[in-house]
Amino acid sequence: MERQPILRGLLTGWTALFLVFLYSPMVVLAILSFQSGPEGGPQFPIEHWSIYWYRQLFNLVPASSVAPLPLGGALLRSLALALTTMVVSTVLGTMTAQAFRRHFRGSGVVFYLVVLGMMVPGVLVGLGMALTANYVGIDRTWWGTVFLVHVVYTYPFSFLVMLAIFNRFDRSVEEAAWSLGVSPVTTFRRITFPLIFPGVLSSMLFAFTLSYDEFPRTLFASGGDLTLPLAIYGTFSVEIHPNLFAFGVLTTLFSFALLAVYATLMTLSVRRARRVAVQEEIA
Amino acid sequence: MLEIASVTKRYGGQAALDGISLSVGEGAYLSLLGPSGSGKSTLLRVLAGYETPDAGQVTLDGRNLNAVPAHERGIGFVSQGFALFPHLSVFDNVAFGLRYHAHKPVRDSAETRRRVMETLEMVGLADYVQREIQQLSGGQKQRVALARTLVVRPRLCLLDEPLGALDANLRQRMTVELRRIHAALGITFFHVTGNEMEALAMGDRVVVLDQGRILQVDAPDTVYNRPSSIAVARFLNRYNLFSGRADGQGGIATAAGTVAAPRLCEQRQHAENVDFCIRIDKIRVQPEGEALAEDEAALMATYIASEFSGAIITHLFRLADERVVEVENHLSHRRPTEYDAGRRYSLVWPRDEGLVFPAQAVTREATARAAA
Repeated sequence: MERQPILRGLLTGWTALFLVFLYSPMVVLAILSFQSGPEGGPQFPIEHWSIYWYRQLFNLVPASSVAPLPLGGALLRSLALALTTMVVSTVLGTMTAQAFRRHFRGSGVVFYLVVLGMMVPGVLVGLGMALTANYVGIDRTWWGTVFLVHVVYTYPFSFLVMLAIFNRFDRSVEEAAWSLGVSPVTTFRRITFPLIFPGVLSSMLFAFTLSYDEFPRTLFASGGDLTLPLAIYGTFSVEIHPNLFAFGVLTTLFSFALLAVYATLMTLSVRRARRVAVQEEIA
Repeated sequence: MLEIASVTKRYGGQAALDGISLSVGEGAYLSLLGPSGSGKSTLLRVLAGYETPDAGQVTLDGRNLNAVPAHERGIGFVSQGFALFPHLSVFDNVAFGLRYHAHKPVRDSAETRRRVMETLEMVGLADYVQREIQQLSGGQKQRVALARTLVVRPRLCLLDEPLGALDANLRQRMTVELRRIHAALGITFFHVTGNEMEALAMGDRVVVLDQGRILQVDAPDTVYNRPSSIAVARFLNRYNLFSGRADGQGGIATAAGTVAAPRLCEQRQHAENVDFCIRIDKIRVQPEGEALAEDEAALMATYIASEFSGAIITHLFRLADERVVEVENHLSHRRPTEYDAGRRYSLVWPRDEGLVFPAQAVTREATARAAA
């Protein structure tokens, strides 16, 4: 590779281009969020820099013709939904992957049935959910029907992540624990779980982010109370003001914070287990 | 104490264990010798409760173990790869079985500490308590695995090729250590190995396993001197093997020439196909044409080369049928003799040292495979 400067240059350029396309929309959005207000519009040029729209989000400016964004409730709903989906999908995914460690009759069929949840077009799933709910006569709610389709959607991801983790898992460690007279449940808690914890974290991250900005399935399955992506989309139909950009910047920062937590937990997971062990020993 | 009764285990129609029956006494040190694929690991896994046999029964102290899960058996298992808990320290690895035992966990941390230290001292690792598993060498890991199993005082301790991953030096030391620990604890040991010397050195009794069947169960010197079949002789790696036809008059015709059969065989009146073997250190080399004593058998062979390994020198000879035989000399007994490559010599042995077995179709097949 070092001897092929042309190829090297091409690949570097390609990667740079990729990064530009990846981040430029966000950068543009971030810049425009510092537009002056309330008269500044959602486009260049920046008339003058201000944090007016950030303050407007939190109702810190006098009322103007621009209405505050109706996103607070949606944000809370989406967070609650993403968190529960994350927990439920990861638990289900881990359990299913655990079952798949041994071959059982019909395991192939079950595998595809589970994975189908992420393959089927989302709009169809949402629509189907809405029709079923109507037919059965239950209300469409974000905590009911939407929660269900989110789990159906994210569970296969969790399952696949955990399946990959278990594939590399050395079964003999568990067997060793059993032969010491430790029950399978305690073995799972004390041996298996700490060892698969990085996988569990990844699965949780997947499930959270997928649920947090899920759109097509939620569109039909939800009732009157909207989730965040739906609510944001709703604001487009009125008129776009830079306060939406300010909101976007804040949620992006939140996502980064989440990633940071994930990375920290990930690096600590192995070390922490060891430190705990040592402390127990000293105590 | 442990009774194994016609245990059979199949994988996709192939029998890994084919009607194994064996009884193991209290405090015994049993070594189980078999080539890879002989079913020896499968037998251990069945005993440990990781696999259920398709037929047969395992009883420990009169209790049928077939429906008993692994953690209720009181049978320790030291696996080939050690299977240490990578996220725990040496201390916590060893303490694991005490702390989290399903029925009688040790809750007192001073008691846990005392027992862990006692066991670590026994395996010579007391200075390594605080180490992480990743910081240990192969031999140390092996001893941690052993300590972890022994600290809970199992009724029976299964060792799956425990010395396989160690280098020759360490292997030698661990052999002594294992015997010492066994003597100190009085726990029954069941040691599986593919190495014939290890099997002979370790066991009070040696069980030879092949293709899911037990070929011989005997004291090590009996197995070594009197293998019960040509297959056992082959695993011992100490015998030159021949197949031939007994002529009913005290001779055995092999492809390399006719040799005098052991006198015990002379009673056989009728001709039959036989397998014949002679241990490599029973053979003497003498120049072609020298006379034989009356009780000696001989084959002509061409000298190829010698391998020198310390106290032992192994000479290789080619027979008339192109097969290569080994002759071992202990240098402490005899001065090494120089032979000329390509010259013919006569390989001589006391005829009664030869072992003759009725030929078995299965064995012949195996011989053909080994030769191929």
